[in-house]
Amino acid sequence: MIEFSGVNKWFGSLHVLRDISLTVARGEVVVVCGPSGSGKSTLIRCINGLEPFQSGRLLVDGTDLADRKALLRLRTEVGFVFQSFNLYPHKTALENVTLAPIHVRRLSRAQAEERGRALLEKVGLADKMDSYPHQLSGGQQQRVAIARSLCMQPKIMLFDEPTSALDPEMINEVLDVMVGLAREGMTMMVVTHEMGFARKVADRVIFMDRGAIVETAPPETFFTAPAHARTRDFLSKILHQ
Amino acid sequence: MVWFYLERIFGYWPVLLKGMGMTIGLSLLSLVIGVAIGFGFGIIRAGRNRWAARALGLYIDFFRATPFLVQVFIVFFILPQVGIELSAFAAGVVALSNMAACFIGEIVAAGLKAVPPGQSEAALASGMTRAQQMRLVVMPQAVRIITPSLVGQFVLLIKDSSVVSAIGLLDLTRSGWLIVQSVPNGLLVFGIVGVGYFIICYPLIHLSRRLERRGQAAFL
Repeated sequence: MIEFSGVNKWFGSLHVLRDISLTVARGEVVVVCGPSGSGKSTLIRCINGLEPFQSGRLLVDGTDLADRKALLRLRTEVGFVFQSFNLYPHKTALENVTLAPIHVRRLSRAQAEERGRALLEKVGLADKMDSYPHQLSGGQQQRVAIARSLCMQPKIMLFDEPTSALDPEMINEVLDVMVGLAREGMTMMVVTHEMGFARKVADRVIFMDRGAIVETAPPETFFTAPAHARTRDFLSKILHQ
Repeated sequence: MVWFYLERIFGYWPVLLKGMGMTIGLSLLSLVIGVAIGFGFGIIRAGRNRWAARALGLYIDFFRATPFLVQVFIVFFILPQVGIELSAFAAGVVALSNMAACFIGEIVAAGLKAVPPGQSEAALASGMTRAQQMRLVVMPQAVRIITPSLVGQFVLLIKDSSVVSAIGLLDLTRSGWLIVQSVPNGLLVFGIVGVGYFIICYPLIHLSRRLERRGQAAFL
């Protein structure tokens, strides 16, 4: 479904992705963690073309990311959830969710709204359809953002630190939605430090440092017997804070 | 004595009314054209094509940095020498809407840049084209941000339209010039002309203030 081979990216002289090779299969849930500045956000932003890269090859759902013309179509198949939600402040929750289905997927308003209502119900916001983002809590906003991505019926969902901007008491309402999604068989890549989430649903956990993938392992191995010293060091910092 | 002059000035009410009509018509037409071109300018100025943005920036700065009277003279006296013959009215509209477009263009560009980059990223990530992203997501938010300054710019446009009396258009200011030739009391005549402008502009100033208050309440 997602296939990196030898991908490199530089910001000026800064080497932010070093020779990334990684394959994610259909239905797989992969958690990416690592210290800040390790390139994990950049990694998943490459997958829907929000970040260009300079060398290597990246195939997503059979589409080569080098093909800028296919990018628009590819983005309709890949959902992206941002750390800062990025809901449209001038639109209600339901309008946020239906905007792209109407204008990009060309659904009728009625069809889009039917789908949008069902998804907002699914993320527990049946009573917030007509609220504007500024009337919603952070956790509610992020759930609207997830519903907005799902309304395009994507094949892959990418999450860029979806709970990092949330107050602690709101983290679980968002994670619960993501766990449900993972159990339905969605292909997911999630940048997060929520290790409980990783233990519960991840098929693999990836540790990145200084732009490179240091370690890849199933969660039980990753947390109990990490192979690399840098992984152990990182885990001891985030698990015993 | 004052009453005598006032009576005589108001005897010229058809001229005053005609002048006011010209001022409103000229401003309105230039406003519509200036807004249309100004939004285009703003999109280019805030756009990804650096060279187009810079070239346009130079053009805009030229008109922001030269007196409007000079611009009117350029359009009215110099363009005919290169074969572009314009009536006084057309010249007035061209000069006014060009200047309005330049100022509005900078306002629109500032508004577009004030919309957080996460907004266009979210739009792009959902598969929208650049045009859809602009039309559906970025521009509506920019318009909310800039509406008060835009209305303020309209007020400036109406006042600047008085300069076109210099090329012979019978606007509100020129109607004052005409009247003062037979009623030798400049203070009274131009006082009344001033009140005419005030009547047009004051509601707009109020509107701008109200929009500003409402704008601060939005998005919180």
